[in-house]
Amino acid sequence: MVKISNTTEGDKRVAGVSRRRFLAATGATGITLGMAGCSGGGGGTDIDPDADIEEDVTVELAMDQDFADVQSGIQQALYDAGLDENISIEILPGDFETDSRQVAFTQALDAGRSSPDVFMMDSGWTIPFIVREQVVNLEEGLPQETLDYVKNNYLESTVNTASNPNSGDLYGVPVFPDYPTVQYRQDLVEEAGYSPAENNWSTEPMSWLEFGEMVADVWEYHGGQSSYDYGFTTQAANYAGLSCCTFNEMMTSFGGAYFGDHENLFGPVGERPVTVNEQPVIDTIRVMRSFMHGSDANNAHPDYPQISTSDLVEFSEEPARQPFTNGNALFHRNWPYSIAINAEEYGDDLGVMPIPYGVPEGEGSYSGTGGTAAALGGWHLTLNPNSDNLNASAQTIAAFANENVMLTLFELGGWLPPVPSVTEQATVDRVGRIANYLDTLGIAGQSTVPRPVTPVWTDQSPLVSTEVHDAYTGAKSPSNAMSTLQEDLEGTEQI
Amino acid sequence: MASETPPGESETRLLMRPLNRLEMLSEQAYAYVLLLPAAILLGLIAFYPLVRTFTFSLRADDVFGADPFGQFIGVDNYVELLSGQALIPNQFIDPAMNEPLLRQALIVTVLFAVLSVFFETLIGFGQALILNQDFRGRRWVRVSIIIPWAVPVVIQAMIFWLMFNPTIGWGTDFMQWLGVFGDNPLANTSNSFIIVLVADIWKTAAFMALLILAGLQSVDRSLYEVARVSGASPWQRFKMITMPIVLPALLVAMLFRTMDAMRIYGLIDASTGCEQVPTLTCLVITSFNARRWASASAVAFLTALVIGIMVLFYIWQFRKTEGGAM
Repeated sequence: MVKISNTTEGDKRVAGVSRRRFLAATGATGITLGMAGCSGGGGGTDIDPDADIEEDVTVELAMDQDFADVQSGIQQALYDAGLDENISIEILPGDFETDSRQVAFTQALDAGRSSPDVFMMDSGWTIPFIVREQVVNLEEGLPQETLDYVKNNYLESTVNTASNPNSGDLYGVPVFPDYPTVQYRQDLVEEAGYSPAENNWSTEPMSWLEFGEMVADVWEYHGGQSSYDYGFTTQAANYAGLSCCTFNEMMTSFGGAYFGDHENLFGPVGERPVTVNEQPVIDTIRVMRSFMHGSDANNAHPDYPQISTSDLVEFSEEPARQPFTNGNALFHRNWPYSIAINAEEYGDDLGVMPIPYGVPEGEGSYSGTGGTAAALGGWHLTLNPNSDNLNASAQTIAAFANENVMLTLFELGGWLPPVPSVTEQATVDRVGRIANYLDTLGIAGQSTVPRPVTPVWTDQSPLVSTEVHDAYTGAKSPSNAMSTLQEDLEGTEQI
Repeated sequence: MASETPPGESETRLLMRPLNRLEMLSEQAYAYVLLLPAAILLGLIAFYPLVRTFTFSLRADDVFGADPFGQFIGVDNYVELLSGQALIPNQFIDPAMNEPLLRQALIVTVLFAVLSVFFETLIGFGQALILNQDFRGRRWVRVSIIIPWAVPVVIQAMIFWLMFNPTIGWGTDFMQWLGVFGDNPLANTSNSFIIVLVADIWKTAAFMALLILAGLQSVDRSLYEVARVSGASPWQRFKMITMPIVLPALLVAMLFRTMDAMRIYGLIDASTGCEQVPTLTCLVITSFNARRWASASAVAFLTALVIGIMVLFYIWQFRKTEGGAM
């Protein structure tokens, strides 16, 4: 086997961004995740991480279309990192939406299919596969050097979502973490009389009220809906992204929470309070209704202006991004992959700011709430135990744990390196324009709110998204929806 | 005097005995005997999976076990489903009515089946009557009526999804102009139900038309001449001649369509999504995808039961017609 090095021997230039801030930011996300009520231990599969691959082997990786589009670049980066040249990769473009991909992977593993060899799993639902022992325990599949590198250098919070919550064994190698930000058309904002640079928009979060008033003003200045379909786009469709992320982070910024203090996010299930039928949570819905329908609408918040339309209730990531990239929206909330796309489109006219806050930090109803909050996402590589190419697949996963590969992924698709120190090496020359926004991503990383990944979250997530969506669309009043959700969540906590 | 049997004759008699017995059977009994092998085969194919589904449904869900089926719990899954207490995003039925009617899978499905079959029959009958006439360009009219039936379900669903897509569709504005829909029909349960209903009728009325047309073309046209000479009005001719002859084909078509409508899934999944129009099959799929295989089995078994009851209803209601004897 060719020796795979984890460190870069290439570009060592210093990035023109605040490293210290980024390190502080990402370090702060290193919270310890726990899991309640999980069972299972480490499973074993006969893998030799040092085996020689003597014949040509193709390793299939189930990822998404964005990765498939840059397959040759990734392949070359893996070879540069020392992957045996007898191993070639084929990236299978799975569904872009996380729910659909989870279903596809569940079916593949339940059926015992040998293809694909490697799965890219959302950090929000990797643990159920781990506790069911449906993916390979990498403690026996990766070289010790790689295991040590991942455990000692990767963001702790992401590694925890790729590990068995009981044994701590590693079952997945994080490919990239995700923190959302708000992107905006800096040229149009400046034309409307605002100065993002002078007011430090890139690093100092504004309140949702300030944000709403500013977006409404800029939108109106540029002709309103007759010129731009949306002042602001985000994701408010009835899907997993609503419960884990957009609603979770906005509710947190208003001081609300699903289960009280954030230390309860990961359990213990059944012993923690359910706190959705409370004023900060209801206020969050009312603010979103104002953003979509205006302050005069039923169950809208009277202080917040209209900055978008009710189309948001049909938007997941890509439908929300497309109007912004196509020039029909002024502001847009999304993950870093979209910064890469929009930076390509708008160049220096693209601005990025942290997610706004509802109430100042520390003024929330529960610990961990209040202030800017960015949902913590991310994806891991896991190994199919039914694979016909276990050794080659394990070596491929190990090759991803390399700094040059991480920087290549950052450059090719805007996928953040899972190792904070690697992000420091990112420069515009090395990874493109996305390097200009590392300060903002650092702030986002500093204020992440994890999704409450417990064994019952799979049941709770659709309940949350359905009730919140009903309240957004007006099918139910916010208090009715949250009252129903309170009962439903309490029911699921009793499993 | 003892008679001697020629060698081999007793064996021949033994062999002939069952054949002779078959010859002695009544026509009806003989028909049943001939049907028996096919019935056994069908039983294996149709009833074995049903029985297995039922046995699966008597076990608990084990979402976090390697085996998705937990311990034996009897009919608990059925109790939870029928009392609206199941741990699934949409309920099978909610007797307490905490859930809106169009969020309860059984009600959505039955309502969809009744409305779609009613309108498809009505429109299909009209189309068949037109196609049964001799007129210039009849061939082109036939093609235009049949085309929707030829469109694959996913394409059909995408047409309607795109029509009501908020960024590129024109359907929402048009329906709002008519005063029918709200701002986001694909995110509204009742609007989405109507979209799926119309999409299904648009496609499947052609199927009804074709089956009814086959029935219409078997009508002896001289009967109409006789009726006309006798002074029968068009309505009387339809009621006394057309309807009785077409009814058997119509009932078969309605039965097939009802069974299809009760199992609708693809059209919904690719257009509005199961969140907005949660039918019984949607419930099976979403429960299965959430790795609640036992609950999914219970919903599937109940769905089969409901469809079975509806089929029995057809057969019972129309038992005296020729079609009812099918």
